[in-house]
Amino acid sequence: MANTRWNGNGMTRRAALAGLAASSALAGLPRAARARTEPLRWWSPQSAPAQAAAYEFQIEAFKAATGIDVVFERTSDEGYAPQLAAAFSSGEVPDIVTHLPSFAAQTYYANGLLEPFNDVIEAVGTDNYYPGANNVFQAEDGNYCATGIGNSAANMLWVRRDLMEQAGLDKIPETWDELRGAVQAMQTGGLFGAPLPYGRNSMTSLIFIGFIHQAGGQVFTPDLQVNLDNEGTRNALEFYKEMREYCPPGATNYSWGESLTAFVSGATATGIYTGRVLINVNDQNPPLADHITCVTYPRMSTDIAPWTFNDFASVFIPAQSQNKEAAKQFAAFLFDPEGYIQQLHAAPGHVLPILRTISENPDYQNNAIIQKYKPEVDLMAASAAGGFNLGYESAEHASNSKAGEIIGSNVISEMVGRVVLNGDNVDEALSDASKTIEEIMAS
Amino acid sequence: MQVSQTVLERRYAALGLVLIAPTVLVFCAVIVYPLVSAIYLSLFSIFTPTLEGDWVGLDNYRTLLAKEEFWTSLGNNLIWTVGTLTLQIIMGVGMALVLHQNIWFRSLARSLILFPYFISTVVAVLVWKWLFNDLYGILNHLMIVAGLIEFPLDYLGSMPNAMISVILVGAWKFFPFVVIAVLARLQTIPDALYEAARIDGAGPIARFFDVTLPQLRDVLVVIIMLRAIWDFKEFDLIYLLTGGGPITSTQTLPLLVYKEAFALNQMGMAAAYAVVMMLIMLVFMIIYIRRTRQEEET
Amino acid sequence: MIRRVAFNLFAWGIVLAVAFPLFWMLVTSVKPQFELFRRPPTFLPETWTFEHYVRLITETPFLGYFKNSIILSVSTTVVVVAISTIGAYSLVRFKYRGRESLAFLVLFTYLLPSVVLIIPLYLMLVSLGLSNTIFSLVIAYTTFALPYALWLLRSFMAGIPEDLESAALVDGASRMGAFVDVILPQLLPGIISTALFTFILSWNEYLYALVLVNSDTARPLTTGVMNMLVSSFNIEWSLLMAASVMMSVPLIIVFAFLQSYLTRGFGAGGVKG
Repeated sequence: MANTRWNGNGMTRRAALAGLAASSALAGLPRAARARTEPLRWWSPQSAPAQAAAYEFQIEAFKAATGIDVVFERTSDEGYAPQLAAAFSSGEVPDIVTHLPSFAAQTYYANGLLEPFNDVIEAVGTDNYYPGANNVFQAEDGNYCATGIGNSAANMLWVRRDLMEQAGLDKIPETWDELRGAVQAMQTGGLFGAPLPYGRNSMTSLIFIGFIHQAGGQVFTPDLQVNLDNEGTRNALEFYKEMREYCPPGATNYSWGESLTAFVSGATATGIYTGRVLINVNDQNPPLADHITCVTYPRMSTDIAPWTFNDFASVFIPAQSQNKEAAKQFAAFLFDPEGYIQQLHAAPGHVLPILRTISENPDYQNNAIIQKYKPEVDLMAASAAGGFNLGYESAEHASNSKAGEIIGSNVISEMVGRVVLNGDNVDEALSDASKTIEEIMAS
Repeated sequence: MQVSQTVLERRYAALGLVLIAPTVLVFCAVIVYPLVSAIYLSLFSIFTPTLEGDWVGLDNYRTLLAKEEFWTSLGNNLIWTVGTLTLQIIMGVGMALVLHQNIWFRSLARSLILFPYFISTVVAVLVWKWLFNDLYGILNHLMIVAGLIEFPLDYLGSMPNAMISVILVGAWKFFPFVVIAVLARLQTIPDALYEAARIDGAGPIARFFDVTLPQLRDVLVVIIMLRAIWDFKEFDLIYLLTGGGPITSTQTLPLLVYKEAFALNQMGMAAAYAVVMMLIMLVFMIIYIRRTRQEEET
Repeated sequence: MIRRVAFNLFAWGIVLAVAFPLFWMLVTSVKPQFELFRRPPTFLPETWTFEHYVRLITETPFLGYFKNSIILSVSTTVVVVAISTIGAYSLVRFKYRGRESLAFLVLFTYLLPSVVLIIPLYLMLVSLGLSNTIFSLVIAYTTFALPYALWLLRSFMAGIPEDLESAALVDGASRMGAFVDVILPQLLPGIISTALFTFILSWNEYLYALVLVNSDTARPLTTGVMNMLVSSFNIEWSLLMAASVMMSVPLIIVFAFLQSYLTRGFGAGGVKG
């Protein structure tokens, strides 16, 4: 049904809006005629200069192998939602989209906007993946809505060994109590303990969901009933509030970029980020390069298992693509070792291989950063492979196709803000947030 | 003679219609059509990426009027608009009076004052975020050196600082528009009026209130209306500066529309918000036009 | 004399305060990255570097975005000024039914929030086969630039004495001939000022550019720079400030020369609502 919807005729509910797209039937013709000659359009929000260069290499190699042209178009973490909405509603879609979080793919798939991805996963080779790597992309109908292009361990605790030594600490924090003690010991006049985000943005929501799980709580029950109001969330809110005094004043407006920069520039003693820290420290603040290391983020107690936030960067193909076969070919080609390794090396430790075979590949290991920080990179790879996100809170949870909207609504970051910044009543903030999430689930 | 004139008049009228045709065409295509769509969409419950959905009639409107978020956003919207507009007018008129005087390097001074209006909102926001930066920002540093504050201020992440910062940056960015308009008008006030006032023994302040202000009245009426509408609708500046935070303290209606449309994927609801927003502006505009007309008549 | 000096110092004090962000932008853009992370910040750069400018030009698509922005803003300005000049002429000098309500409609169009126009507009542009092109942005920008331009030029046109045109008509000129020979030269300052305002509006727009265009071949500076330099993995302030300087300086130079038109043009426009 997804395929016929856009041809302009025989639509059901769409017909209600036919007046709006009065000429969509007309537009369908030239579009179909154009399709064969136009290059594939590839969108991604991950486009640091080195990554963009790696993509160009893959595009060239694909052209050489198949004669098919691909153009890369950058989007952004903030911009992709309206851009894709415009694209989907008009039918002028990109042919392949990479690096969006798994829950975005689930949302679009649930609305019939994406092509099932099973063929591509088979073409890449099911056995090459880490076991269970594609579980997060399994949709309600049993098909795969996308596959991963890279893992990331986004809430690693980064620490400075030199500052720990100065403060007389020899154990890297494993529990919240230890973390609080450590940041307290390391915080001095100009140096803050941690760059936790307290802003009204997706980072705050995503990171705080990690804290909920690190306290043994959850946002949903495995059958997707809202279960935000639990002991874990309450403890997480309390701890997150306590941590505020060890964060820079501007943390109330922090998102990923600010948080990362605070640690890399040496303004905070600990950091919370992916392996991107490694390359940024080596490029921008080399004196720190020999003092940094990372562990999984501390939990309330050691009885609770670590919970690594992995956004499961995805690859998917819009159902309206006029060139699905070529797009699938290209999607599979993205995992061709030579180009894929180059792509991973563009941000070593940040985008981690999704394929077991690549991790073991000596070419992948042959990178200065990956070699220098081997224990860290290995730890991140292992944590990320066993990681979760709101669309996939635990292995038992059903996949949640509304996760993207819950993050986008900022309901969780608003709850954090109310409790931490405004000192609002916890019961009220929790019940309001639960209500909003229930509304989103019902919509 | 009589007959040929009416033929000529009719031909003129036809020419007039031909000349206005492109304007009307553009208006229909780019404004009337989207406007009608917006009203139409607001009657559905629509998932943005597919634009599919069910007819819900006026349900969206009922929901939004019952929503607390709508009223707080409207409140923020009014605080922001009134705050930034007042500052823009005061700073704009004041600066125009100064720049109207014969100060040193006057045209350089004028260019520097107009500069915030020329630059992109994107650039303005980036520069201010860097000035406001909690760790490396010069503003905190200067204020600490000057002894005004002891610890770095959190300009964008706490209240009321965030609202004040947004209002100030908005005023900084848009007051040159007022300067331009007022300065232009000042240049056309005949010197004779000032001479007459001076002969009557009026001091500089009396001259401002008795001569300058009445002369500026017309232009101020227009500017206030234009700027009020633009400020009420402002999206880029607030969205890029605070994103509506902390919590929802600086979330204005355009940001709420954006959130409904693209974060929550509820295009119908977003359209309903937009229609309500338009009605609010329309009411204010009509009241404002009535009031100024009445004052003109009295 | 002392009063004059004091007044001048006072005036320049304010001017410099308003222009301080410009100064800080310049200073930041020539500091090396590591100096930015100095606490407290250095006021003047200890080491001067132009590497950020070099990097911007050689390693990023900045110049492409710059070219797009120029094409986009110039085309928008030409289209808007052309349409609104003849439109204003018609509204002011011709008599037909609906003239007044049209003028009111112009004001009404200001009230539409752009956020909600985007999707319908996008659908329309796609069905015209124009999506993802600079031209689609030209059309979109017309939505918000045309009402203002029309309003500005209308009141400007009203300021030109009718006698001039009548005299030309008596001399046997056609209506359009009189328009070109008599009205246009009189209107020139108004046209320049309208053009400047339109140019500023389209040079600075962000939201439409974000949603309507997603290809580097058509992306203008505002979204291009944000997309390229503000990401979740890095905020390179010095590069951003260099980009900001390069986005602003050409405008400032042009407007420094045309600044008198800006104020003069508005004068005539502003007198009558």
